[in-house]
Amino acid sequence: MSDLFDLPFEEDDEAAGLDAPADARRAAPLEPPARRVFRVSDLTVAIRDLLEDRFVEVWIEGELSNCKVWNNGHLYFTLKDDRSQLKGFMFRSTLRYLKFKPADGQHVIARGKVTVYEPRGEYQLECEHLEPKGVGALQVAFEQLKQRLQQEGLFDADRKRPLPALPRKIGIVTSLDGAAIRDIVNVLGRRHANAHLVICPARVQGADAAPDVARALRQIARVPGVDVVIVGRGGGSIEDLWAFNEEMVARAIGRVPVPVISAVGHETDYTIADFVADVRAPTPSAAAEIVVARQDEFCGRIDRQHDRLVALVRSRVQGLSRRVHALDSRPAFAGVPRGVAMRSRDASELSHALTRAVRERLGARTRRLQLLDRELQTFDAGRRLAGIRTRLVAASERLRGAAARRRDRAAAQFHESAARLESLSPLAVLGRGYAVAWNAAKTRVLRDASAVQPGDAIAVTLSRGEIEAKVTKTS
Amino acid sequence: MTDTSIKDFEAAIAELESIVKKLEDGDLALEQSLALYERGVQLSRFCHARLEAAEKRIEILNERGELKPAPDSLTRG
Repeated sequence: MSDLFDLPFEEDDEAAGLDAPADARRAAPLEPPARRVFRVSDLTVAIRDLLEDRFVEVWIEGELSNCKVWNNGHLYFTLKDDRSQLKGFMFRSTLRYLKFKPADGQHVIARGKVTVYEPRGEYQLECEHLEPKGVGALQVAFEQLKQRLQQEGLFDADRKRPLPALPRKIGIVTSLDGAAIRDIVNVLGRRHANAHLVICPARVQGADAAPDVARALRQIARVPGVDVVIVGRGGGSIEDLWAFNEEMVARAIGRVPVPVISAVGHETDYTIADFVADVRAPTPSAAAEIVVARQDEFCGRIDRQHDRLVALVRSRVQGLSRRVHALDSRPAFAGVPRGVAMRSRDASELSHALTRAVRERLGARTRRLQLLDRELQTFDAGRRLAGIRTRLVAASERLRGAAARRRDRAAAQFHESAARLESLSPLAVLGRGYAVAWNAAKTRVLRDASAVQPGDAIAVTLSRGEIEAKVTKTS
Repeated sequence: MTDTSIKDFEAAIAELESIVKKLEDGDLALEQSLALYERGVQLSRFCHARLEAAEKRIEILNERGELKPAPDSLTRG
């Protein structure tokens, strides 16, 4: 260091060294020796040149104090240890790459060059890099930002929005060269998902990554029809993934008006972006799976409901049809023999009319049902997924129960009306083996044996056919 | 689907589910069941049509905000 101060005074020394005669010195009034006089600024410049040449890149360890970001965006601080202090600053342009927020009391390692602030004649450190000593710098930055955003409520559960059932367009923010976009496209292709992707390419690694990802998020949010956004990249080191731990990316995610799925790196890496996003996918492939699964889920729901609907109505109509056919074969509807009282004919006609009416109504409905069914089948083709089928089994069990109950109720109604019809018919009694006895003219039904004498002719009506008979004895 | 009475995909599924539930536990007249059935079929068709309508497409949004088709290398997966 001593050579620093040699230079300015060298000339002075030389000047002083110019020998003047001893007597002249004594005789003449005391004259100052010829001196090299510096202006303050010249000296300062000289000092600055010396320092800047000598300390181009130094690493300094110390404790931060008086940390402050000024209006111009630059950071000013003092670095100190137990004996000395060093003033320092960091330009705004460099400051933005800092992974943590410098604060008083932090023990740091700084890198930079020594320079002189001429107006004040102060030497100081122009800091180019700053990192916390001890804990990894990135870890500190991560924890600080996480805590701050959490306090702001950016991670709150009630901010999380549900994903759309059927996205119109899926926005994707990632690099076009990375593995992420290929993984996403592959998954969607493999799952046969008809997805409309809008990719907004962004740099996902390096110093520019964070502002670029934030820019892409703002851009994708403006595309009409994009109703879900996947943002991410493939796996990498913590430094590679760092853009997703930057505040500007976190805030850009928070501002996207539609749900955002974060998909950064491999399963174990949690980033700030993951906390802010509405859904966190462990990998880009997983993000695509999530979107498709949601679609499958809705497909399954439609198919399930559809199948229940068809089965319910079909079994109801078929049940009713069967009952109507069954009624046809009942005795009440069997051919009524001629010559039987009018009431039985009335009953018979009534029953046929009823059967016909019910059958016609059901017939029309059944045809309509079959028509709708056929139309539906065309939508069914190739739509089902194996998983959904198994889920269907439980639903159809339930359904069968409900259908059976309905059918039984309808059957009971038909039984009842059939029974009523039968009771109207005298044939019902004859069918059980009884017979009706008449006088010979068939104008009177015989109710009393005393009404006839042995030798009288009478008529007997049976379930099938009639007998002409002669009374042989009364009692 | 042009049926304006169907609001959107998710609403359609919800209505379909409520119809099936009604058919399952309601003591409905045959006529009423069939009306519900027809509505259900309509909803189911609407949902499937929406699924079919989704188109497989990949576009790139450049920094100027223009949408361009993705390069073949990407669409081929």
